Amino acid sequence: MNLKKLPTGVQDILPRECRVLGDVRARLTRAFELNGYDPVLSAAVEYYDTYAGIRSALPQERMFKFTDSDGRLLVLRPDATLSISRIAATKLDAAHARLYYFLDKWDAQNAGGVKSREIIQAGVERLGEEGAFSDAQTIAFAIDCMYAMGLSDCIVDVGHVGCMKGLLEECGLSDARAEEVRASLNAKDALNAERLLKAAGAGEETLAAVRALPTLFGGAEVFARARALTKNARVLAAVDHLEKVHRILADMGYEKNVCFDLGTGKNLSYYSGIVFSGLVREVGAPVLSGGRYDDLADDFGKHIPAVGFAIGLKRVLMALERQGNLPEQPLPDAAIACEEGAEGAADALRRRLTGEGRRVVLAAAYGEGALADLAAAQKYYVTKEGVRRI
Amino acid sequence: MITFALPKGRLAETSAALLAKCGVDTSVLAKDTRRLVLESADGQYGFFLVKPADVPAYVEAGVADLGIVGKDTLIEEGRDLYEMLDLKMGECRLCIAGYPARRDALTNPHLRVATKYVNTARRVFADREEIEIIPLHGSIELAPVTGLADVIFDVVQTGSTLKANGLVVLEEVFTGITARLVSNKVSLKTKAGEILPLIERLREALHEDL
Repeated sequence: MNLKKLPTGVQDILPRECRVLGDVRARLTRAFELNGYDPVLSAAVEYYDTYAGIRSALPQERMFKFTDSDGRLLVLRPDATLSISRIAATKLDAAHARLYYFLDKWDAQNAGGVKSREIIQAGVERLGEEGAFSDAQTIAFAIDCMYAMGLSDCIVDVGHVGCMKGLLEECGLSDARAEEVRASLNAKDALNAERLLKAAGAGEETLAAVRALPTLFGGAEVFARARALTKNARVLAAVDHLEKVHRILADMGYEKNVCFDLGTGKNLSYYSGIVFSGLVREVGAPVLSGGRYDDLADDFGKHIPAVGFAIGLKRVLMALERQGNLPEQPLPDAAIACEEGAEGAADALRRRLTGEGRRVVLAAAYGEGALADLAAAQKYYVTKEGVRRI
Repeated sequence: MITFALPKGRLAETSAALLAKCGVDTSVLAKDTRRLVLESADGQYGFFLVKPADVPAYVEAGVADLGIVGKDTLIEEGRDLYEMLDLKMGECRLCIAGYPARRDALTNPHLRVATKYVNTARRVFADREEIEIIPLHGSIELAPVTGLADVIFDVVQTGSTLKANGLVVLEEVFTGITARLVSNKVSLKTKAGEILPLIERLREALHEDL
């Protein structure tokens, strides 16, 4: 076995890519700060039991686990929203908080490509907020963030878990069966969903609605189509809510960047209201994902309605590269070399230039020849007699 | 441009014929070529010809926007994509088959299952008995005949191969296994203007066939 290689699904990020990543993070930080979000970091290592016992537990096979010296089971942060919800419920006093983070998470099951096992993320959580205006603001901010990172032609696809949950709760399915139906509907596989529901004894009206659910995507016209299909109160409430969110987004000028898909059923069980994904043509998986999770903090001892999203920064870099929107690699502004005995003068020049905010490289080798190896906009050679521009 | 991942082999010709019927210029597919990446003369469509089992991988990653693939492969691969249409082609069933009475039950307490659908078999048997999976790539029926396995888990179309070897279907696990039109989840939304009309034409073409 080659021990110099990395395990499957994780990657090193080399300087050139790292610089772009840093640039994207800087743009996001500015957007987060300008919009009143405060930074937060959670520990990368937590107890397995913290997340195993809650209602919204992640599947255990997806967590990276190891044992503490006392034998307790630990996990590498499997999800940033879970951690932040825990922090908000156990450590923050204020009723409201708008937080942003740059937190990576680990998913043991992913295997590379667009699905990495180490997921480099940025995200925001709006805690203690409810209602369509909060949802619409979060979606609008997600779109702003996508453009702020340098992406073009961004779309946010919006759904609501109430549509699917409403239809499924009519059928009285077991959790395992409901999960199977959710996965089928999320894949727009109406055939299998119908087969499962028929076996569970669902009525013809429910079956017709379930058949149609995967086709209910597009613009605002889907709301009327959905209403014509069902009398289910939970579904209708979800559609009303989405329509309100749509109205606000249109009023805020984001209509051309949003579309709706009532058949969305994300696999994270903590979502309780709107869910959304940020899409660009160039990457085959969402670059951003989020939603409302009003009941998650209950598991940590406090009721905090909340909404937020996370951005997959690796996918953003892929999109920027494919869209041709990668920022230029900046050359250092100046390179300096000196002869032996002029080190003090050379370093004084370096200090003066960096003090002016310029990026400077001071050669470690003596002689004017050392400048040939350094790429820079301006080059200086320092001798005991003085400074010469090359 | 819309790109398709199309399966080589059994479904290749019927897939091309169906697309042609919907106004997709597929003449480039009819030419005898060793090139794997093809483009229609009008530049509107791209085609990759890949092994059937690889279609979901291309579509999930978004390298191809749309693909045609058997439901058996979709179940086995479990990829994150949209199934847009049942193309009603190549219908078969995924079955457990073997001899009417199990043979080496005394010396092989675990049921030995030969299959090329390793993931699916594992899921199917997860809530039942303990099994040992024997992954094979073809001629699965040979496994119980030669004593390599007790049963097989495989697609059954007419059942004639089973019958010729003295095997019977013990259980139909998935019926209605047909070819499906699948879409990348992002492409469906970001290229809706190109993809949705095409899907509508396919739906109509399928309807006419029935």
